[in-house]
Amino acid sequence: MKKSFLDYVLKVRLPITIFVVIAAFAITYYVSRAERDGLGYSPDQPINFSHKLHAGEMQIDCQYCHTEVEKSREAMVPAVSTCMNCHTIARTDKPEIKKLKKYYDEGIAIPWKRIHRVPDFVYFNHSVHVTSGIDCTSCHGDVRNMDKITQVKSFTMSSCLTCHRNPKEEVPYLKELKKGPENCWTCHR
Amino acid sequence: MPEEIDTKNKKTENKREPNYWKGFKEIYNDPEFSKKVNEDLTESKPKDANGMSRRKFLAFVGASAALAGAACTDYRDKGEIIPYNKMPEEISLGKPNFYASTCTLCPNSCGILIRTREGRPIKVDGNPEHPVSKGKICVKGQASILDLYDPDRLKGPLRKSKTGIFLKTPWLAANKTFITALDNADKQIAVITHQINSVTTKKLLGEFTKKYPNTKIYSYELFDNTIRNNAWKKSYGTDFYPIIKWDKAKVIVALQSDFLGTEGNRVENARLFAEGRDVDKVKNFNRLYSVEADMSLTGSNADYRLKLKPELQYNFVMSLLNEINRKTNIKIPINVSKFSLKSFAKKYSLDAKKVEFLVNDLIENSGKSIVYAGRSLPEKTHIAVNLLNEILGNTKLYNRKTSNYSVAGLSTYGDFYKLITDMKNGGVSVVIHFDSNPVYHLPDNMGYKKALKKVETVATLTESANESSEVSNFVFATNNQLESWGDAKTRTGFYSLQQPVIAPLYNTRQKEAVILQWVKGLNSKFKENLYHKYLMDNWRATIYPTLNSEIEFKRFWYGILNDGVVLKNEKIKSFGKFKNSSLSGLTTSPVKPNGFTVVIKESYALGDGRQANNGWLQELPNSLAQITWDNYAAISKKTAKKLQVQNNDNIKVDTGSGEKVYPVFIQPGAADNTVTIDSGYGRTKVGRVGEGAGFRISGLMSGKPTFSPWIYTNVKVARAEGTYTVVTDQEHHVFEKKPTENIFKKRGILFEGTVAEYEKDHKFLKNEREEERIVTPAIYPRHPELYKDVKWGMAIDLNKCLACGDCVIACNSENNVPIVGKDQIGRGRRMQWIRIDRYYSVSYDEPIISTQPMLCQQCDDAPCENVCPVAATTHSEDGLNQMIYNRCVGTRYCANNCPYKVRRFNFYNYRDRFKDGFQEEQLFDLIYNPEVTVRSNGVMEKCTFCIQRIMEEKAEAIREKRKIIGENVKVACQVACPTSAIKFGDINAKKSKFVKYRNHELGYYVLEEVNTKPNVTYIAKLRNTHTEES
Repeated sequence: MKKSFLDYVLKVRLPITIFVVIAAFAITYYVSRAERDGLGYSPDQPINFSHKLHAGEMQIDCQYCHTEVEKSREAMVPAVSTCMNCHTIARTDKPEIKKLKKYYDEGIAIPWKRIHRVPDFVYFNHSVHVTSGIDCTSCHGDVRNMDKITQVKSFTMSSCLTCHRNPKEEVPYLKELKKGPENCWTCHR
Repeated sequence: MPEEIDTKNKKTENKREPNYWKGFKEIYNDPEFSKKVNEDLTESKPKDANGMSRRKFLAFVGASAALAGAACTDYRDKGEIIPYNKMPEEISLGKPNFYASTCTLCPNSCGILIRTREGRPIKVDGNPEHPVSKGKICVKGQASILDLYDPDRLKGPLRKSKTGIFLKTPWLAANKTFITALDNADKQIAVITHQINSVTTKKLLGEFTKKYPNTKIYSYELFDNTIRNNAWKKSYGTDFYPIIKWDKAKVIVALQSDFLGTEGNRVENARLFAEGRDVDKVKNFNRLYSVEADMSLTGSNADYRLKLKPELQYNFVMSLLNEINRKTNIKIPINVSKFSLKSFAKKYSLDAKKVEFLVNDLIENSGKSIVYAGRSLPEKTHIAVNLLNEILGNTKLYNRKTSNYSVAGLSTYGDFYKLITDMKNGGVSVVIHFDSNPVYHLPDNMGYKKALKKVETVATLTESANESSEVSNFVFATNNQLESWGDAKTRTGFYSLQQPVIAPLYNTRQKEAVILQWVKGLNSKFKENLYHKYLMDNWRATIYPTLNSEIEFKRFWYGILNDGVVLKNEKIKSFGKFKNSSLSGLTTSPVKPNGFTVVIKESYALGDGRQANNGWLQELPNSLAQITWDNYAAISKKTAKKLQVQNNDNIKVDTGSGEKVYPVFIQPGAADNTVTIDSGYGRTKVGRVGEGAGFRISGLMSGKPTFSPWIYTNVKVARAEGTYTVVTDQEHHVFEKKPTENIFKKRGILFEGTVAEYEKDHKFLKNEREEERIVTPAIYPRHPELYKDVKWGMAIDLNKCLACGDCVIACNSENNVPIVGKDQIGRGRRMQWIRIDRYYSVSYDEPIISTQPMLCQQCDDAPCENVCPVAATTHSEDGLNQMIYNRCVGTRYCANNCPYKVRRFNFYNYRDRFKDGFQEEQLFDLIYNPEVTVRSNGVMEKCTFCIQRIMEEKAEAIREKRKIIGENVKVACQVACPTSAIKFGDINAKKSKFVKYRNHELGYYVLEEVNTKPNVTYIAKLRNTHTEES
């Protein structure tokens, strides 16, 4: 029996097309995973603030600026007035500090680019994690060595759950730490 | 058929097995009703799916543009974090701050505690420091947060142009022209205000009068206690009727009085009343008799209720005096021989047995009982009641330590008539409405609105446009109570302070500051702290020295602002014996009733209508009729038959000043030939929410009332053309069963007993439940690993629950529940997470009412969970039935499978749909509780046991490295409940107070036969009736 063109299309071309489409999708999906999760995201900030300089070299405690991290849901990005505690005197001649002073004097809030973000329907609480002894670096990476803040860990639900389920592996420095809760209302409400 | 049920009930009455029914259509076996039952939850197609409104079109275009835009932007962009520029000292991000203040929405001036987040107020609760309200607040106070963010508020001062249009004007210009008008006023300047409770405001008005000596101050309230106080003054000589110690009363007889619902400080009344309803002190149970024409909240909670037209109350009291004289030989200083209780009861078909119980109870409990006449009854009834209490020795229940206090008295209708005559004769140059709305409130037949046209300059100081501002030349936009400073004194013994919690949202000023600016003249520049300074100065100069405080003023001031109240040692005027001279005006022969009587009742939710633009209050179902968004003429079934009307038919009511039309609602238990109509509705000039809600009552009222300003006798009532649909919640979520099958009892929805039964056998209910128990196999296999640690539970004491609805508003506010509107309520799509179910039983004419707050029962074996195809509702190890919005796809299987019908579905994005995006105005973003997700359409939602508050306690426990303490969590409804009927806690904390309620002998679960193992326990209601009857 002579093979028709239709047979050819159905038996050869269609499966190949479907395979190519699926493969392309799958590859893109896996390759772009990191980017979609925001890994490596490191946008330019309105002021070139260096955590490496402040937290690393000068060893200012994280909580000098992120004051609420042990008390509240929010770690809090400091107000401009917090910066001005030092910078009314320190390094006032530097261009970035001049920028900062301008923001302060004009009473404008600094529009920092957000790096770490969980969706609106997630009610993450900083205080319970920090007071349980989990180090900031476990989620935010080695901020002390970052000139410009970069996202190094994924902030998806699965990354939350990985840690909640296997705290021994994820935060080995806390031997006593029990598993985290897994029920929905812990984060969603 | 109704008659059948009546006879059936008679048979079962002795066995205390009432048939409960929810609504009228159910009773009549209306085919439409059965249709509705079948339709329940099946209806889902939006009616307007085909039409595309302009708004939708724009949304569509916008969405397309956004989609196109999104394709080109960096999807990794996560927006910005915008911190403060200068960190406010008191703000801690993510943590609430609380400020004590005073509510100024009614003359009670209760203390409030405002929760703010990041500087914006999000919830109003009661201030626990306040000696009267003690941490509780009524629905109006709770809902006042919505008034603050009302987009329909005035955004700045307005001036009426020559063509009659209101134009925006700057404050300076408006003040300039108005001060000129004041300066040029050669005739009277009339200032019309509501009751003034603020000492400083009174001083300010005094200064205004000093500057403009032609000024006269008039004040009014739509409902006040003038009649009661006047009668008291005649009987005892002091100015105020004393405060009643309800908690000490064993027998309470309320005569046409809704003291638990609207009269006096009902939050305090409710709390004290409920203290006599403690199941653990069952010997101290009080007994409440209610004798009334309408069906009030008090009547619904009464152990015995008698129907009586209000004009007959006088005869009733006199007959009681006669009967007491006959039985005890106590001398009565007035001739009551013509009043015979027996013939009275017979004539007006009062249940002779109940009347006898009442008399005997009063005699037996003399000194421990109180007869309380409603404020709308005429003076002579009050005097007779005062006498009755005196001869029974009930004066012991009068509080002699503290009494009411009035900063400034109220004007009479006579004063207003004089003003109106002056206005008509051109004797008034300027009228200032000082946050009052006399055009709406004063009786129409006084002709105030017409007379106002003769006045050259009319100014209205108001928060939002109203009927009075509409006919003014100047409208000065004022601050909301949460933006204002002030003080208040309503009782002896303390002052209460009011402080702003947010800067004015619009270009508005505090009403007192506006007046102060007029007093000071324009030479002094307006500053935001103008009145604040004035208030502080007044306190420093006049009140602070009287308090003998040892602290220096500044610190003292911050201290009292923190507490919201400051106590003061004050002696009250003592009152002596009853003055027999007051009896001289009393008639000694019975009054005869004739024709129809109209009772004008203060609306439970809306009060006098000031808050008519408040969607929460409009949508709060009336606790008995369960009607939302409207008022109506409540009549009895017999009267409806006589008038040949049914529900929703119009009737015309004529009290002597023209016919007014109202829709009918047949209220079981209403007295015959009586029409009851709620106040506060029918605002003609109001924002978008209150538009078209209900009917005015000012047309019924008269400036020269013959009986009482709120009760009109000999009224013409007839059927009118047409119908008007009032929507009710009572027929939502009903079972497809006939009421004769008595399912409410059989299925274990309601269990009730009597005090005597309980005293005889503490386990009577348990035995009863065991007897009728049907054991259904468990839905799920046992999971012994669950509920080891904390397990959350709730207990609701039905003995204390008065069905006031405070919990509903508290929940709305806490959980970001949207307003849905009248049409959606009509389709059974209310969104409130907690509802108050109301059941009638026994008979239509004299029903017994049972109420029950119903919310998600957080069942251990929740039937909703296994039907969810996407696992959006699951169970947590602390016993909560979780609902995850971002997972829900909206199949509504769970709601269908819920036996309690407590799940709520967002058929629309109600924020967008209600009044064309009313709740999506930018301002509304500020009201939301940031700890709770704002739900959109297509999502199921329900009570979460305030998971945000539970999580806060969990976080606190982790931070403090301790175990979770169940009783630290106070859920929103529990905090709001004025009688503390709602308890919440950890079921596994065996020693806690809560567990005592959870495992109470009177506790039961609703629909136990379904075996869902609920975590909400109801404590069965005990009625304090006489043993002979049961």
